[in-house]
Amino acid sequence: MTDVEPVARVEGLTKDYGPVLALDSLTLEIGGGTTGLVGANGAGKSTLLKILLGLIPPTGGRAEVLGHDIATEGEAIRAAVGYLPEHDCLPPDVSASDFVVHLAMMSGLPRVAARERAAEVLRHVGLAEERYRPMGGYSTGMKQKAKLAQALAHDPRLVLLDEPTNGLDPAARDEMLGLVRRIGHDFGIAVIVTSHLLGELERVSDNVVVLDGGRLLRASRTDEFLDATGVLLVEVLGHDAQDRMAAALISAGVAATRRGGMLNVDATDRPDAVRDLIRDTAGDLGLGLVRLQVDHRRIEDVFADAEADADAGSTVELDRVGTDGAAHPDGGVR
Amino acid sequence: MTDPSAATPAGGSVIHDLGYRPYTGPRLGAGAIARALTLTGFRNAFGLGRSGKSKVLPFVLLALNLMPAVIVGGVLAFAGLDELPIGYAEYASTTQVLVGIFVAAQAPVLFSRDLRHGTISLYLARPLRSSAYALSRWTSLLGATLVFLLLPILILYVVALLGELDVSEQTREAGIAVGLAVLLALSLAGLAGLIASWSTRRGFAVVATIALLVIANGIVTAVQGISSEEGRSEVGEVAGLFSPYSLYRGLMGAWTGADVPTPPTSTGMELAYVAVFVGLSAACLAALVWRYRRVATA
Repeated sequence: MTDVEPVARVEGLTKDYGPVLALDSLTLEIGGGTTGLVGANGAGKSTLLKILLGLIPPTGGRAEVLGHDIATEGEAIRAAVGYLPEHDCLPPDVSASDFVVHLAMMSGLPRVAARERAAEVLRHVGLAEERYRPMGGYSTGMKQKAKLAQALAHDPRLVLLDEPTNGLDPAARDEMLGLVRRIGHDFGIAVIVTSHLLGELERVSDNVVVLDGGRLLRASRTDEFLDATGVLLVEVLGHDAQDRMAAALISAGVAATRRGGMLNVDATDRPDAVRDLIRDTAGDLGLGLVRLQVDHRRIEDVFADAEADADAGSTVELDRVGTDGAAHPDGGVR
Repeated sequence: MTDPSAATPAGGSVIHDLGYRPYTGPRLGAGAIARALTLTGFRNAFGLGRSGKSKVLPFVLLALNLMPAVIVGGVLAFAGLDELPIGYAEYASTTQVLVGIFVAAQAPVLFSRDLRHGTISLYLARPLRSSAYALSRWTSLLGATLVFLLLPILILYVVALLGELDVSEQTREAGIAVGLAVLLALSLAGLAGLIASWSTRRGFAVVATIALLVIANGIVTAVQGISSEEGRSEVGEVAGLFSPYSLYRGLMGAWTGADVPTPPTSTGMELAYVAVFVGLSAACLAALVWRYRRVATA
């Protein structure tokens, strides 16, 4: 998924707004599949998307999207890219169906083709009969789907989704994340999706790019972010279960510590032997083994590591991102 | 097991999920996109393709605007007059309030709505440049205004021909009226469009446009009235340069001999009137393009 031709290539990109340096000589390559763009508010995510669309010129550096230079081929880029903006963009007195048809035509599709495409993308995003009603009466979830439909209407090769889960309740958020996943995996359209909630991107993206104060903090595959930590999470049921289990494991020479209602068991050296030991120990003690799970790192742990390493200057920024993620460990309600 | 080659299994129907299908058809260029946007905008200006409620105002105004022409036609037919009771060019001057309300009320439909609801960012993320967007919107408004101004002229002209009035004279006068209508439409579309593009609130744009047209015209009319009374008509001629309606009236007086206060009397002044008319429209259009370039890079 990641080793195909890059959809976006950015070299030394700088955007100076005068009082604010939005992007600071950013160099980056974004491949196919789904790429999550993470950063606190003001980290430069939206600025980067607008520059990639060829809407605003960078102060310095250069960038290519789908092989087109942003400085000279903005039109070609915008014909092949779909964009879901962060803010409201739907007129309330128009139906989703008419709206998507119109915007498909604005991307160059002939009227008949635009009608067919609109019907198809509205079906894919899950807007059924309500597509014929004015969008002013839509719930936030339905509005986000309509916004997504217009971004897909002209069958783009790349979609830029700016905070697509913003303001959604947990069920709608799950549905939207599912759609984002399908776009990247089933539809074969490259996706760049921004969020300031780390837990979300962990679930949908193949690659994660972390921006901080307009600079690249880290870019790598999501699974590298989420390397197994070598720790097993264990939960047992019974009288004073966790403490007895921990004591037994420690006496067997395995490091075990309490973590809430569970145990952290260090299995770095001999994972299989430790698993057997846990099973046998629980059996010997007559405890019910209800959880034995590999503990993955979360993206916010990466931030925590970076924070520990970071110099004093950028700690504040990192702290903002880290706190945001920690407050919503599983991408919960904002 | 159903036969996979059958379109439907026995006695029932089935929906095949074909999954996502890429689009392989033609993709049109910027010109075709701009044309589609202009046509949609033109329809929207009359409430077509929008809610039923939004059709009421434009069509009521259009009906009111056409009613005198229809009545004149009836009078001409029954009374057998040998000239039209109202000149082609004078018509728009008489119904200038209706024209003003129409342009002021429909310009926000084309300009303010996209800004207010943020839809503009979806247009800007598509191939059309911001300047092409602004020009398309302006063309839609110009077209709608022209329909509003030219339909009565057409009705009067048809009535005059059916009434067997002198064809060459009628054609000449109607031609002058069309030229004046184009000049008026250019400036009104420019002014109203520019005001609407700076306002995300429809009501504000409507009031500001009507106020500008009415107040400017009121002041100019007062100055022209006083200067005419005082025998200083050159002051009135210069004052006429400061409002689209008085520009229209002045040129109408000079070109058709209609009775208006202080029309431009010299060729130089007539040229100045035309230059201000065209210059005003061009300035508004340039400001519109500049405005949308700012919106795009904001």
